[in-house]
Amino acid sequence: MANVSRDDVVKLAALSNLQLVDDEVDGLTKDIVNILQYVEQLGELDTEGVEPTYQVVDLENIMREDEVITSEVTTSDLLALAPDQAENQIKVPKVL
Amino acid sequence: MAEYEMTIGIECHVQLATKTKLFSPADNDARDAKPNSKTHPIDFGLPGMLPILNKEAVNLAVRAGKAMNAKIANLSRFDRKHYFYPDLPNGYQITQMYQPTILAGEIDVPTEDGTTVKVRIHHAHIEADAGKLTHYGDYSLVDLNRAGTPLIEIVSEPDMHSPTEAKAYTTELYRLMTFAGITHGDLYHGNMRFDVNLSVAPKGSKELGTRTETKNLNSFRSVEKAAEYEFKRQVALLEKGERIVQETRGWDDAKGKTTSQRSKEDAQDYRYMPDPDIPPIVLSDKQIQEIQSNLPKLPPEYRAEWGDLGVDKSVINSILANQKYAELVSAVLSSGGKKAAKRVANWISSNLTIDEATDEKKNADVADLLALCEMTEKAEITSNAASELFNELMNGATDPRRLAEDRNLLQVSDEGEIAAIVDEVLADSASQKAIDDIKAGNDKAIGFLVGQIMKKSQGKANPGMAQKLIRERL
Repeated sequence: MANVSRDDVVKLAALSNLQLVDDEVDGLTKDIVNILQYVEQLGELDTEGVEPTYQVVDLENIMREDEVITSEVTTSDLLALAPDQAENQIKVPKVL
Repeated sequence: MAEYEMTIGIECHVQLATKTKLFSPADNDARDAKPNSKTHPIDFGLPGMLPILNKEAVNLAVRAGKAMNAKIANLSRFDRKHYFYPDLPNGYQITQMYQPTILAGEIDVPTEDGTTVKVRIHHAHIEADAGKLTHYGDYSLVDLNRAGTPLIEIVSEPDMHSPTEAKAYTTELYRLMTFAGITHGDLYHGNMRFDVNLSVAPKGSKELGTRTETKNLNSFRSVEKAAEYEFKRQVALLEKGERIVQETRGWDDAKGKTTSQRSKEDAQDYRYMPDPDIPPIVLSDKQIQEIQSNLPKLPPEYRAEWGDLGVDKSVINSILANQKYAELVSAVLSSGGKKAAKRVANWISSNLTIDEATDEKKNADVADLLALCEMTEKAEITSNAASELFNELMNGATDPRRLAEDRNLLQVSDEGEIAAIVDEVLADSASQKAIDDIKAGNDKAIGFLVGQIMKKSQGKANPGMAQKLIRERL
């Protein structure tokens, strides 16, 4: 039985860089409990001897040669996608 | 202090010497490049981008494994490590949490006092570097040139117990990685960065204390200094009855202090999950062997090769700070033998500036060095002259015999020529006292006569021969 507290949700939101108001925390706590309960049904299955699924395609060793390819998308195209820029860089609120 | 013991484990990030990034085909050499000029939409983490693994990064990792005597995994995978920071556009770093490519290994680390410490490697994983942040008044700027640069993170076991051992380990790791061609090894540009995990416990205690991690050290010396500082700081806290907080600390090189940065996240806070975009790396033993074949000679092999040259261990270790010089001594050894190699090793050690920080490009022709060795061996030149000529050769000059002639450095070893000078000196009345002294049994007085001969010959007479001729005449 999943046990999720408000504090868990607040912490999860902080880790995910989400700002939640109190109402949202209450709603999400309920939602997450429901989701976990739903997913936990899988625990009833016997998975003894079953390889974990890391990927759904059976590819391996997909690699490229070490050769520089200059993208058609320029630096200024890329910087233009950012909310703000200065000195050829992305400008963000101060972080420390 | 004396009652406490420190335990140190080190994590080392090594930037791989690939042409392109780990998952994007953007240029990986961003030294002195304009910010964000070496980027590709993949590095900006744009939706719909498909990262593709760089084969050369995998090859270098596999070769690095050999340099650390580590086993390579036949199957390895990539995982996502989630955290939010502006230098990480995806919101996650692609790394190898559960199945790294490089498994357990071991390095023999020579320390300054001549002993060797074994440091076990827990594992090393491949991962992508983050971008670079520069902080201003109320904003920060993000340069993504470094974002996506391939790294291996080498995680040691906590096998070091002093700041000097920590320094020695990082130095040896640097040499292994640069000699093997894994990294350019430019420490100034952060090609290798060290995180020092240190804890303190009463001597003899079976349990380790709470550790702190001092991050992002970029020189061997700062590793040593940071370990010294953390040890003192933690001991002082314990003596006051306080507890050590498990945290990440930063190192201020100018102040010589560590400072608290943030409390450490638990692994679960990173919400690791397999990366669905990057299929696993599968390598057979045969493929691993092929990738690891023809690795250049590494420091342990040089040490074994030079073991019986009769050169001091400290001389050998100083030469190993520069791969070019190590190759030179080795080349002299194979074509000229032990005696010549010993001479060249000592010349290098006493005439050249060698440390990891200076990228000296000096080199000389092996045949010229052997010629110089022969001239020295036959006492055709003095040892001072040999040093002078050695430096000239390393600076690009050739033909040492011609150089010696041009500079009038050749000693006169022609017996007749020297004999004439000897006779002249012995006939001089000023020499009489010395002659009497020698005859009276004071052999040291011969030095005066040899000195006179050297003076008359303008330093070119072979002193050994002069001495022999004097003795024959008295």
